[in-house]
Amino acid sequence: MFDTISYIFKYIFILIMYLFIFGVMRLIYLDIKSMRGRNTGGDGSHPYLKLLNRREHLNFKVEESYTLDKDLSIGRVADNNITIADPFLSKRHAKLSVRKGNVYLEDQNSKNGTFLNGKRLERGIEAPLQDGDKIRLGNIEFLFIKAQSEPQSKVQNEV
Amino acid sequence: MFKVLYKHPVNLVMAANIAAYAVLFLFRQPFDRNALLICLLVSGVVCIIYYVVTGLKLGDEYLFLIVSMLFTLGLAMIYRLDPQLGQRQLIWFAVGLTLFFTSYLLFSKIKIWSRLGLFYAAGTFLLNIITLVFGRKINGSTSWIVIQGHSFQLSEISKILFILFLACFFKDGESGMIEIPGLKLIMGHLRKDGNEKTQIRPKASGVRGLRAFITRETQNRALLMAVTFINAFLMILQREWGTVALFFILYITILYVFGKSRLFLLCNMACTVPVALFGYFFINHIKVRVDIWLNPWSDPSGKGYQMLQSLFAIGSGGFLGTGLGSGRPDLIPAVNTDFIFPAICEELGIMCGIAVILLYFILFYRGVKIALNQSERFYRALSLGISVMFGIQTFIIIGGVIKLIPLTGITLPFVSYGGSSLVSSFISLGILQAVHPSPRVISSPGIEEAAENG
Repeated sequence: MFDTISYIFKYIFILIMYLFIFGVMRLIYLDIKSMRGRNTGGDGSHPYLKLLNRREHLNFKVEESYTLDKDLSIGRVADNNITIADPFLSKRHAKLSVRKGNVYLEDQNSKNGTFLNGKRLERGIEAPLQDGDKIRLGNIEFLFIKAQSEPQSKVQNEV
Repeated sequence: MFKVLYKHPVNLVMAANIAAYAVLFLFRQPFDRNALLICLLVSGVVCIIYYVVTGLKLGDEYLFLIVSMLFTLGLAMIYRLDPQLGQRQLIWFAVGLTLFFTSYLLFSKIKIWSRLGLFYAAGTFLLNIITLVFGRKINGSTSWIVIQGHSFQLSEISKILFILFLACFFKDGESGMIEIPGLKLIMGHLRKDGNEKTQIRPKASGVRGLRAFITRETQNRALLMAVTFINAFLMILQREWGTVALFFILYITILYVFGKSRLFLLCNMACTVPVALFGYFFINHIKVRVDIWLNPWSDPSGKGYQMLQSLFAIGSGGFLGTGLGSGRPDLIPAVNTDFIFPAICEELGIMCGIAVILLYFILFYRGVKIALNQSERFYRALSLGISVMFGIQTFIIIGGVIKLIPLTGITLPFVSYGGSSLVSSFISLGILQAVHPSPRVISSPGIEEAAENG
């Protein structure tokens, strides 16, 4: 009786151990990607979105920053320009359009809404973005950076 | 279900606890209620502390997670082998956790640690000398202090002090050590003895050569070597071979990573060779260990008994093990402390053994990552030193019990039974946790940090 139980539980135990290692490895993978991701930030010639969350706290893949050199759509499904598997995002959540150097944010009838500096965007309204605006969608928060900052140091890429 | 589990690894620690103690509950007749109690206690404490660490953002959250998994496995194994030791280990766990938070607070709030270099050196000496004078001989080494029936191993604490000392040495390009006026005076005095004219006519040409020779760096290096080798000598007198090996490998590693001079590194390595050779040829104990390593069958029922039992245990476990409670790991002498790894391998299989090694790999990786994120050299050397210490300790003992290298008695951090070992491991973990940079530092990657890595 005891032998049978012990026999079954050893498989369970080994499975648990490896699931644990798998889980931690996955977090490490996201972690290393975030170390590499630092250099993909704005190159200075385009406005960009910077992630404000610590990526280690997010359970899905997000880049550290997204360059806004063309119109971008954000959502959960793969045909968006930016696909993020955040469960609180809608399939097609929001759209960023770039016109004459200005960037406009528009909510795409998302369920949980798009927040600009803490205020929920009205349906069908294109809000112009200012430098330093905070955009929140689902779990994630971005900082909009428009300033034509100096190109980032190359040294940083070698971290 | 699995998705939820592996995305929140703390659940898996609890699942492991439940699985292990469910078996242990049924293991003894009558059913062992204490096993369930321990299960509840450990998973509760682990869960609470994990949420405290993540909730209050006390540094890296994976360190504690990995360690709690290792501890869970170790405690379950110890409890299976000897319930009383298991309960005592649980008390040490509580003490360890208290000290974990204490050292976390001390290291994150007080910033004087990098200036105490000589105190650390003095501390290691003091601990070693106390051990030599008052030490009791247990299991062949005189490294135990016995107070009212409880035995402690002070060398575990001196390990941490030694790492702090090394970190102080490398904090400022190898010349940051001597900051205490007293020592400067002594050094100056020594130099004066060497050449009377030094103080009177410092510009004299003959003297300048000598002065250039005895630069601050050279003095510091001499001090470093003196501290290391005298410490090692004191530990050799205690017959603490495992700790001596740990000290030397740690020392050489840190020197290799942070040292500026290859010559000094080579010189140090050259100095360790005669020590090792001397040990092999003149000290019977080491010779026996090496002989057993080469051929355990030369004396299967005597000197080679432990080694062979360990190999039999691993062998009889096979890939998936015999199941918790169905093997005979108790045949191995010292199975609770040094030989816990073969016991795990026998009952839970080499798959679980490999998992343990992987866990240490991840722990080491987190430590190195913390070291890389530091901007101050002191903290960088400190965190690297601690993670290297965990790594080497694991290598020495696991390599020893699977007959990969000669066996030296040392504990498997967080898994083996042993109060002082567990406590010192938790103190080191607290330091590592405190050294971890705050989120603010991470989100704005500093260029100076990158430049220093180059």
